[in-house]
Amino acid sequence: MMELMERRQLSPILAALPPKIDIRGVDFFYGKSQALKGVDLAVPANAVTAIIGPSGCGKSTLLRAINRIYELYPEQWATGEILIDGRNVLERRYSLSALRRAVGMVFQKPTPFSTSIRNNVAFALSYFERLSKAELADRIEDALRQAALWDEVKDKLNVSALSLSGGQQQRLCIARTLAVRPEIILLDEPTSALDPISTARIEELIHELRQRFTIVIVTHNMQQAARVSQRTAFFHLGELVEVGDTTQIFTNPHVPRTQDYITGRYG
Amino acid sequence: MPLRRKFADLLALAFAAAATLFGLTWLVWILWTTLSEGAAALSPQLFTAMTPPPGETGGLLNAFYGSAVMVLLALAIGTPIGIAAGTYLAEHGRHSRLAAAAGFINDVLLSAPSIVIGLFIYELVVRPSGHFSGFAGALALAMILLPIVVRTTDEALRLVPNTMREAAFALGIPRWRVTARILYKAALSGILTGVLLGLARIAGETAPLLFTALNNQFWSASLAEPLANLPVVIFQYAMSPYDQWHALAWAGAFVLTAFVLGLNLLVRLCARGARK
Repeated sequence: MMELMERRQLSPILAALPPKIDIRGVDFFYGKSQALKGVDLAVPANAVTAIIGPSGCGKSTLLRAINRIYELYPEQWATGEILIDGRNVLERRYSLSALRRAVGMVFQKPTPFSTSIRNNVAFALSYFERLSKAELADRIEDALRQAALWDEVKDKLNVSALSLSGGQQQRLCIARTLAVRPEIILLDEPTSALDPISTARIEELIHELRQRFTIVIVTHNMQQAARVSQRTAFFHLGELVEVGDTTQIFTNPHVPRTQDYITGRYG
Repeated sequence: MPLRRKFADLLALAFAAAATLFGLTWLVWILWTTLSEGAAALSPQLFTAMTPPPGETGGLLNAFYGSAVMVLLALAIGTPIGIAAGTYLAEHGRHSRLAAAAGFINDVLLSAPSIVIGLFIYELVVRPSGHFSGFAGALALAMILLPIVVRTTDEALRLVPNTMREAAFALGIPRWRVTARILYKAALSGILTGVLLGLARIAGETAPLLFTALNNQFWSASLAEPLANLPVVIFQYAMSPYDQWHALAWAGAFVLTAFVLGLNLLVRLCARGARK
């Protein structure tokens, strides 16, 4: 029980560090409709920050702003500042390639590329780094081990990734992201399309990864937020309502709206 | 009420079956005539001898050769340009007005009568150079192939879900590499289907070749001269009064039909691969 309590709040050491991601006054628009309104949020390093809230509250939008993936769609834009290690990544001149290499993202639906398991992991890796065959093989194994997938796929690396189960595909997507050694990992409802056993495996994985990475997870599942995160931010209607240690948000929320959501009054 | 429904159901079924039968009858008839008449006229000589003058025996070797050369050259010209243009429409220009306009014009070109394309190449290549040529024929065929490849590439790429694009871009990979390594792979069977369908279409085109490659009674390997080709030979021999030429025209039609049929089977196989 004590261990669980510790897991659910930020250690004082980490709390004293400057935030890894500092979101300041971010507005986000889909065409004319505004999805985020003046969001300020500090995301601590080497911890899991969960973003919760009802559907359409802007939680996924916030993730999509951090790695600027929204730029694929010309009718979407963001204003404000998102500082990563003190530098504003929303500035146009900030290199997208460098940003996305440092900020990995895993999506709701597993999206393996229609190629072998090996190539899925090697794809980004061999673009960013010049590696010998042996080094590449090592890094692929390393990434698959970190994603707790190695034992299941080590004998069939040349098999199509599409032949894996949904849970394995999602861990492959995590491995693919880890392979380029990012600093931040964004998880956008990573288990909502998975069965309970696969979900449990991925949650364990998140636990292990948080030592080395800064993780932001969007989830509609409050139990999941409580299980995996140290910090929780509650969003509603595009606004950040409340943010705090996970224990505090779930046991003693300061804002009535948070209380209502946590206790299932809406959402 | 249930009786009325049953009756309506039966009636609809009967109409649908009759319509299918009506359509299929003509198709089977055409195929049957071509296959039976053509098979009767088949002989080894068909693939070893040149087109004969009236009253002598011969084959269609020069026509097969000319058609193969022009179709392959048209493929070599039309496929890369078509895939590149389709990629622009689906990926780079997805939100631009220029791409929307280009897509519309491509659709117009897609349904342009092939004889118009023949005339266009005639004005563009044949008249300035002063003579018909295999090269002009290949160019005309490429012009027919091009919009087909553009459209199918565009559509095959659009069928690739955005989630896959996002996942690839989220890794920090630049657009050209995402397209080349991820999207083409996902859309491969669709693009291949388009190319094969285009190939089947140009293999049998006659009108554009009348104004460009014309025909050649003799063996010629030069693309700068008029080049024999199967569709025009079939056309001329079928219109002639000589029985031997008629038989050769049937044989040519048989080979052409079998080729297109084979291509369509290949397309089916490709499409099946895509669903897996």
